[in-house]
Amino acid sequence: MTSPIDIEGGGTSVVVDGDQQPKSKPEEAKQLEGRSPGQLMWIRFKRDRTGVISAYVVIFFFVVGLAAPLIAKLYGKDPYTVFADERPELFDSAGVPLQPNGGISGEFWFGLEPGNGYDVFTKLLYGIRNSLMISLAVTVATVLTGIVLGVAAGYLGGKPDQLISRVIDFLLAFPSQLFFIASMPVVVSLFVSPRDETPVYVRVVALIAVQWVLGWMSLARILRGTTLALREREFIEAAKVSGASPVRIIRREILPNVVTPILVQSTYMLPNFVTAEAGLSFLGVGIVEPTPDWGQMFSKASTELVMQNDITYMFFPGISMIIFIVAFNLLGDSVRDAFDPKTAR
Amino acid sequence: MKEDLVLPAPREATADSSGDPLLVVEGLTKHFPVKGGFPIRRTVGAVQAVDGIDLTVHVGESFGLVGESGCGKSTTGRLITRLLEPTAGKISYRGKDITHASRKDLAPIRSEIQMIFQDPYSSLNPRQTVGKIISGPMEINGIEPTGGREARVRELLEIVGLNPEHYNRFPHEFSGGQRQRIGVARALALEPKLIVADEPVSALDVSIQAQVVNLLRKVQDELGIAFLFIAHDLAVVRHFSQRVAVMYLGKVIEVGDRESIYTRPRHPYTHALLSAVPEVNLAEETETGGRERIRLAGDVPSPISPPSGCRFRTRCWKAQDKCATEEPPLVRISGNHDGHLTACHFPEDPTIEARDEDIVLDPALAALEEGLNDD
Repeated sequence: MTSPIDIEGGGTSVVVDGDQQPKSKPEEAKQLEGRSPGQLMWIRFKRDRTGVISAYVVIFFFVVGLAAPLIAKLYGKDPYTVFADERPELFDSAGVPLQPNGGISGEFWFGLEPGNGYDVFTKLLYGIRNSLMISLAVTVATVLTGIVLGVAAGYLGGKPDQLISRVIDFLLAFPSQLFFIASMPVVVSLFVSPRDETPVYVRVVALIAVQWVLGWMSLARILRGTTLALREREFIEAAKVSGASPVRIIRREILPNVVTPILVQSTYMLPNFVTAEAGLSFLGVGIVEPTPDWGQMFSKASTELVMQNDITYMFFPGISMIIFIVAFNLLGDSVRDAFDPKTAR
Repeated sequence: MKEDLVLPAPREATADSSGDPLLVVEGLTKHFPVKGGFPIRRTVGAVQAVDGIDLTVHVGESFGLVGESGCGKSTTGRLITRLLEPTAGKISYRGKDITHASRKDLAPIRSEIQMIFQDPYSSLNPRQTVGKIISGPMEINGIEPTGGREARVRELLEIVGLNPEHYNRFPHEFSGGQRQRIGVARALALEPKLIVADEPVSALDVSIQAQVVNLLRKVQDELGIAFLFIAHDLAVVRHFSQRVAVMYLGKVIEVGDRESIYTRPRHPYTHALLSAVPEVNLAEETETGGRERIRLAGDVPSPISPPSGCRFRTRCWKAQDKCATEEPPLVRISGNHDGHLTACHFPEDPTIEARDEDIVLDPALAALEEGLNDD
């Protein structure tokens, strides 16, 4: 897979060479440097204003997630401090912040959570961090599985293809949301006995595993089709005539040509995993208190205490998630358009 | 290995049939199974794409394989390069049986048999630079030419008439003719002894066809590489090949040197094929009385159930009962030159001069011409 960073460097230098040094002789060799399909895609992508803005938004969220501990440190609070105990003067007897809008102030930027009195700003930062990390892990796992099984099915054909395709059909027939909800407690209980306290990492691993098992099929199916079409192309035959091994053919000839569907699909898949993970945490089978999580904040916002006393609490996780999902989906569209300029929207 | 390739191969040794043959194909057969049936799919028949053909290609020789679409030409090429597994028969290269050799067994001779493909748009990996495409075969076979692979690739680009500076370009930046040249350079990269060219010019513009054919001729003359040249364009084959085989429905029906096939054909199908080539020079036609005119009717029969006996009998104007019961052997018919073999019970006269009466088997065409004559 070509990383976008590589393409960035190559793409810009080519444009600069072509524009500025058309006459200088020593540069001639450099001038004839061709533009790879990846570089062309990058040039097209950079022209797409929506895509570039969405990319910046998405990058902003990832930076926020990665730098959450740093930001929290500068801000001076952490999401685990129970301010209802530390600063009881800020809350009434029911645990609701006394100040309006959920206690938003210069000290608590996004207010305080009714009940335990967690700081909402740091909680959201860590929530974004945890949600994105889990979703990223799921995406990486599903993409890798999709590549291995999809390309194997497409390239090998025959019996292995039949087997993998039937497994895909079978798993696609599952009602995935119901399966997630039903299987989460089962998977967790595989690791921990029901009487013990469940460690956070077990829940995280279970969340990743459950979404991975039911998440890889769509990409695998697309890659199977693409590989099947590529396998019949004459450049594969040319490699075979030269005596290339199947491993080399897959690595050097097929994989570079399936980068497009992989990138496009993963930009569509990641926001879906974010919402799915949030949904599970909202329903109480994902991440639970006190670990901060995007979806779990919605769950908290819908409890009676918060709903009736602090409607602003919902605002921050809600708006941030909407912005993230919309930006990521727009980014996915732009990536697809950049790779495939002939398809009209 | 490089030295003997740089020297031009002696033309005399290649033109005649003497010397050890490079490639011998005996009774080569390829049947593609036809699956069907419900609920259990099983083999219900076979497409007899290639059905027992014999060929011999000598060192440095250009051997043409012609026939209409679907007669098994390309399948033959893919069998010889072992992209397909033969159903039966034997392929031997320099006396070594490679019919069912595995990839590892083939490794030592992989570099000696290369292929040029039909479609220049699908035969180059769009994600690789020209340099990578051409040096790929060298990398696979662990060939380290003196001066490095890059220098060798630049040299090859020059040989096929491209700018060596195109090394870092991608295939989408080239035209069809240039792409086909890149394909030729890739085939030459391993310094092969035999190149199977599967309709190398049929996807190209007519003006570019000549360039590529001349390039291939140059390559063949200078490097002494044997060619198995597969094409449906008779003029191109005539320009390129010293010996020609005509295929019909998975069988070789006539084989011989170029002059025999083009001026003294014996098989009715060869006559029909030659007479179908469009003639530009009308003046010459009127002077010499012109060429014979044969127009066949109908389509090639299905290769799933080919006709009994002679496969051409369903479209042949000379067919008799014997043709349906007895398959004609590929033999030398009296009056033929050496090495000119024909598979026909009732061969035609060895001429392509105009006949007293045109043979027009197509009823629609016949009716049309009738109407024209009445006017």
